Amino acid sequence: MTHKLDLTDIQGNIIKAYGRYNFQKARYLFLRIDDGNKGRKFVGAITTKVTSAVPWDKQDTEGTSAVPQATTNIAFTFDGLQALEIPTASQRGFPDDFIMGMSKRKDILGDDGPSDPANWDKVWKEKVHVWISINGQSIDAVKKRYEWILEQVEASKGGVVLLTGHRGEKGEDNLPYQDASVLYDATGMPTSKEHFGYTDGIGDPVFEGQTNVPARVLGRGKLMRDGTWHPLATGEFLLGHVDEAMEYPKTAPKPWLLAHNGTYMVYRKLHENVGTFNRFLEEQSKSFDGSAEMLAAKFAGRWRNNGAPIVHAPDDASKIEWDQRYAAADEAGKRRMLTDFTYNEDIHGAKCPYSAHLRRINPRGSLEFGVKDAYDTPGALVNRRRILRRGLPYGEVKDSTRDDGNHGIIFMALNADIQRQFEFVQQQWINYANDFKEGNDKEVLLGNHDAKNPSKVVFSAEPGSGKPPHFVSNIPRLVETRGGDYFFIPSITALKAIAAGIVDPT
Amino acid sequence: MATKSGNATALTVLSPIKNGAVDETSYADITRERCLRLPIHENSPLSKVPNTYLARLFILDDVFYESLPANDAVFNFSDITSLFSDSARKKALPRKDHLKSKYLVLSSNFYGNLEDYLVGMWEKWSYVDHEGNQRDIRHIWEHCVAFDRVTDSASFISYIKRCQLDASLFFNGSTDDSLQEQLKSLYLKQEFTRFAVEHQGKSAAEIQQAFKAFIERAQPENLESPTWSPGKSTP
Amino acid sequence: MSNIAGKAYAMNVITPIRWYMVWINRLIFKIALSNPSTLKGLITLSLIHYARWVIIPRDSFPRLDPSQPKEELNYSYMLFFSNFNGSWDQYVDSFTFAIPSGLDLFWKWNVRYPKSVPLTPFHDYIRHNQIDTAHYYNAYPMAASNDVKSAKIVKKALIDFNATSADKAPEDFLNDYNKLLNNLQHHFGDMRPTPIVSLSADAVRKRHLQSQID
Repeated sequence: MTHKLDLTDIQGNIIKAYGRYNFQKARYLFLRIDDGNKGRKFVGAITTKVTSAVPWDKQDTEGTSAVPQATTNIAFTFDGLQALEIPTASQRGFPDDFIMGMSKRKDILGDDGPSDPANWDKVWKEKVHVWISINGQSIDAVKKRYEWILEQVEASKGGVVLLTGHRGEKGEDNLPYQDASVLYDATGMPTSKEHFGYTDGIGDPVFEGQTNVPARVLGRGKLMRDGTWHPLATGEFLLGHVDEAMEYPKTAPKPWLLAHNGTYMVYRKLHENVGTFNRFLEEQSKSFDGSAEMLAAKFAGRWRNNGAPIVHAPDDASKIEWDQRYAAADEAGKRRMLTDFTYNEDIHGAKCPYSAHLRRINPRGSLEFGVKDAYDTPGALVNRRRILRRGLPYGEVKDSTRDDGNHGIIFMALNADIQRQFEFVQQQWINYANDFKEGNDKEVLLGNHDAKNPSKVVFSAEPGSGKPPHFVSNIPRLVETRGGDYFFIPSITALKAIAAGIVDPT
Repeated sequence: MATKSGNATALTVLSPIKNGAVDETSYADITRERCLRLPIHENSPLSKVPNTYLARLFILDDVFYESLPANDAVFNFSDITSLFSDSARKKALPRKDHLKSKYLVLSSNFYGNLEDYLVGMWEKWSYVDHEGNQRDIRHIWEHCVAFDRVTDSASFISYIKRCQLDASLFFNGSTDDSLQEQLKSLYLKQEFTRFAVEHQGKSAAEIQQAFKAFIERAQPENLESPTWSPGKSTP
Repeated sequence: MSNIAGKAYAMNVITPIRWYMVWINRLIFKIALSNPSTLKGLITLSLIHYARWVIIPRDSFPRLDPSQPKEELNYSYMLFFSNFNGSWDQYVDSFTFAIPSGLDLFWKWNVRYPKSVPLTPFHDYIRHNQIDTAHYYNAYPMAASNDVKSAKIVKKALIDFNATSADKAPEDFLNDYNKLLNNLQHHFGDMRPTPIVSLSADAVRKRHLQSQID
């Protein structure tokens, strides 16, 4: 019954969040293919260094390999696959969302106003065909791999062009790459924080075939009727595997070998308006019954400093107790405290607001609204809407009172069906809330708030307490899209077939 | 009969359209185009028909042939059909049906009783079509069988009743209040939400005074105004 | 032409049912009607304004005049009409995952109904038998079913509060007012136009509005 994945065939970035393996630096490159033949040759060359999902082990035991200094992964837009001349019948098997690409989906995604593609980094005005990522244990390792890739571009003799047009730290707007890096604390130690100060990347979904599932599945898999957690179906995240609907994902192109063990990636450069965020938090906390930190935690569903879930630490006093328990726990216990919870004891949202980022992107069983056995399983409305999140912060905040500059998050979401998973969450749960019975109230941090029609959210009070709910109003746009697109991450087998020009769906 | 759920009524009407054509356009296609080109939202003729919650029009051209294979929880029937001969398997396929008339289908969900509603339809249904002509309800039903005998609201009611089908199950996931009541409630929800947000943290006296002014302005028990108009599509 | 009007989606599905099985479906509907718990999932989903199932026995298509040919059909037909929030493509997963047995119960006896899981045969079955709407009207395009229900609660609470508490001393007023807000705290969602759930439907809507200006 247990499902074993072909880890040698799957690109490593799908299975591994590299940041967890001490890869502190990343560089993302975007390229255009001007010649199919030379382009395929280039893909073949890159494929020799593509990092697979094979487990890393210091002892280098059988079936594992040593942690490399740098990783490389590659993915393509629909235009890129056309430029590589895959057969028309294969092209036709891709879903509409992927064919259109992110900028044409702006009305679905809410990329309007400052997030409109017109305001994106210049590189997105180019024909983006290929995405290559380098993650490194040091910037030197990243640079070394980057130099190697430049050599391959050079060797393509004009067949492949590295695109420029990324904004940089010193006001440049024409860089040939997008750098990203973990943020460091005052002592120079790497952290898992982003520029608003939140601890990021705690509760990624867990699916069948991953390693060490029992230890990780709590709060991260799918919630069953008996309260246990099971890993999600592999096909939610990898094409060619059975999904939660008990079928192979319909988004897979033909032939099987092109799709199998591949997936789709949503790449988004999200600028964070740090100055506005800090002012907004300070201003709003004046009328809030609690600390500014508690308010910040209500926005996200987790406390900024250590990711404590607010559903278990709903106010300043209980946070102190939670921290004590956390300090006393062992590593497994700590992990559990961060992820193993539901909203069952907070069905009215008095602890974790319905609008909290965490609750919006993964409502766990809470969309049953406490109605016992209303659905087939408590997670019925959630299990088909999960995404794997990858990425790192980019840029530096030089002045925490200002928004301008170049700082934010490189956000990457992996899923088998962009429309059903990423786009649904973005549109229906971030920028809209009927499923949460909150009408058009947008999520505070990521919502596409509009200055002309200011948003608000409602933080429930304990029902029957006689206390009024707390309204957070005049929410400004805190995060702006600065670029992105939809990519297909093929398996290593498929990469080789694309490179060899032997994809054949007949 | 489950055509009612409390005060909410489900009206299902299948009006046969005459076979035949004007020039080279069939009556069914003329009717379809008239439906397709109706103005939408606040300009829809249905916005003028009192108590219409949600309603739609379409043309039923024919029924569909069930060519797709099905599955079954116990076994797939197709798995064992291979035990039979080809001709036996073909005979087991679903049969083909075709309608001899095309039907104009009206499906409306409304408040109140059918006669009142149909009088409202007959009297209030009006709109300006895409060519600038003022139209009443006869324009849509013009080419339906026997509609030429409809001359007034009484004959319209009896006509629609002859075309009406009962619902076996009418699920009301909303309310069965009058449309005016629903629209007034939506208006109040919108306005009171704004009020509550704007007055957060103010003093008791201030809120009380403002609340009285709010009630004066919003007039919760006055269904006529201020309120939302039917089909209102922008804030 | 659009199946979408504001926050509602109009679905019309017509499926054949063996004429001698019609009574079973009628019975199922009757049971569902008298036993609301069979609809608990649908009610909790709260995505539907109004929906109905209509059975047309094979000899009962309306015939209004001898000049109209008499229908001669092998099957009876079941019509399903629904008004739900969101688009069909977006919410097909939610319906099939939340209430698969409910969907199966209502369509089980229809010819070649494939059951709701796995999803694609079910999706294909509905699509195969779906008739697009020519004109769809929604009295409140900015309101979901949740909003209409919330609004009813808000109105009643507001009128009651105004009658009992508006003239109390300020501190008592505030106390009651806070209670009012607490009782209504899940009914304060903003109402604005729906997010664009379908780019093609939106393109049709925009051209239609433009043609009315021209």
